[in-house]
Amino acid sequence: MPLASEQLTVGEMLLRHGISRRGFIQFCTATATAMALPPWIGAAMAEQLRHAQRPSVVYLSFQECTGCFESLTRSFAPTIENLIFNVISLDYDDTLMAAAGDAAETALANAMKDNFGKYVLVIDGSVPTGAGGAYCTAGGRSAVDILREAAKGAAAIVCVGTCSAFGGIPFADPNPTGAWPVTAIVNDKPIINVSGCPPIPEVITGTLLQFVSTGRIPDLDEHLRPKAFFGNTIHDRCYRRPFYDEGKFAKSFDDEGARNGWCLYELGCKGPTTHNACATIKWNGGTSFPIESGHGCLGCSEPGFWDKGSFYAAQSSAEWGKAGTPSPRRALELGAAAVAAGAVLGVASAGVGRLRQHRSEQDAADHNQKEG
Amino acid sequence: MSRLSDIPIRSESSARIERSGEDGGLGGGVAAILSELATLLERLVAAESPGAIDLRSLPMSPMDRAVLQRVLGEGEVQATVTAQGLSRVRETRISGVWWVEHFDQQGEMVAELIDVSRVPVILTSAPDEIAASARALRAQLITPSGSEGKHAARQ
Repeated sequence: MPLASEQLTVGEMLLRHGISRRGFIQFCTATATAMALPPWIGAAMAEQLRHAQRPSVVYLSFQECTGCFESLTRSFAPTIENLIFNVISLDYDDTLMAAAGDAAETALANAMKDNFGKYVLVIDGSVPTGAGGAYCTAGGRSAVDILREAAKGAAAIVCVGTCSAFGGIPFADPNPTGAWPVTAIVNDKPIINVSGCPPIPEVITGTLLQFVSTGRIPDLDEHLRPKAFFGNTIHDRCYRRPFYDEGKFAKSFDDEGARNGWCLYELGCKGPTTHNACATIKWNGGTSFPIESGHGCLGCSEPGFWDKGSFYAAQSSAEWGKAGTPSPRRALELGAAAVAAGAVLGVASAGVGRLRQHRSEQDAADHNQKEG
Repeated sequence: MSRLSDIPIRSESSARIERSGEDGGLGGGVAAILSELATLLERLVAAESPGAIDLRSLPMSPMDRAVLQRVLGEGEVQATVTAQGLSRVRETRISGVWWVEHFDQQGEMVAELIDVSRVPVILTSAPDEIAASARALRAQLITPSGSEGKHAARQ
């Protein structure tokens, strides 16, 4: 684990590891294909990256289950080893790094100092603000303090997983730890949300790779998710869609319809309102995805997915196209207001109550707007 | 039984897709690909800008694939690149249209493209690599067999 980024271009780094330019073109083409990017981008990305310096990446884990990181380490194209050794300089990650204790904290401080204004900050997990931030601490400091400090020198923040993007399961009612998404704490940096519980590994690595190869924030949707991966709903791209259109539904698990592979809508599939790439990129190196394995979508990449009722209740069509909750901007406004009042830590639960209230008002407003 | 495809599952959806491929003719998917290829070729002629179609992003039945392969046919050039994994590059009967397959080190196909260019970029040598090779070769000429002596002495 390097303490600071070596000043090598990606191309030089690749040659050191015996990877030729053609090998890198193969890698980038496979990546572009896996990411469903335009196919000519592969070769262009290879050329651009070869001459770029490896960006410093700092990966911080807060209130999370490490499922997102487990997912990331199972990325097939690009693989995490490839990313870590060749394309990025992973300067801090408490799960992977050999260093511990003071040595680890020194690595973090050095990486942030040496690459101030340039590093990519990856956040995994929500940020608990209740009890003075005591629900999540590392090295004697609270997650909310660590995040605020690390965000200062970041070029951009990538929120990996629904917890850091939208609060996730810790944020679910009754939110006992006063958890917030990153957008509620940091409001002056570009933020990319890569949601999912966990996100698809190739979507995490693909987003990082796309950002470091272009240096630009990709096109984002209203929840700050890259449109390249979150532009379609699961339902739009589902191979069982023709059965939905024909009105052929499985009525229970393992009935005739389920065995024939019919649509799982009536078994509670949240595919119609869930934006993610499961139906196209799939999981485990393109092997399958939940619907292909016979279970409906849980909607894990959408805000508030845990509080939207039973996973097995059929959605009413009235919910289609309804805005998710909370929108990052909304959370951001509320977060900023709370910070201004100097009250985030003390009255987190009241804040969440307010957020929920605003959330339902916002929903109602969005709904009326759609109908009107 | 070592692969998922060996498990005998009959799904109605794929059976239906295969039936639709038997109708004869080009089929909507193949006609659309050929039309896109024609556009890419025209652009290559006019502006020297290469293009590509990602075959794996298209929902193609095995029948569509066979038809596309038959229409494009085999050209004169076949090349293999051995780098990180294996890449197979085959010219089609249509000049400027190449069928490119990339495999990983385990032999799994990781990308399949139809490339529209004079030569697919993976076959060419890059200017910076050529320059580096020229420098290395020149340096070798200046100090001939110097390392051989050292090697012998160490033994």
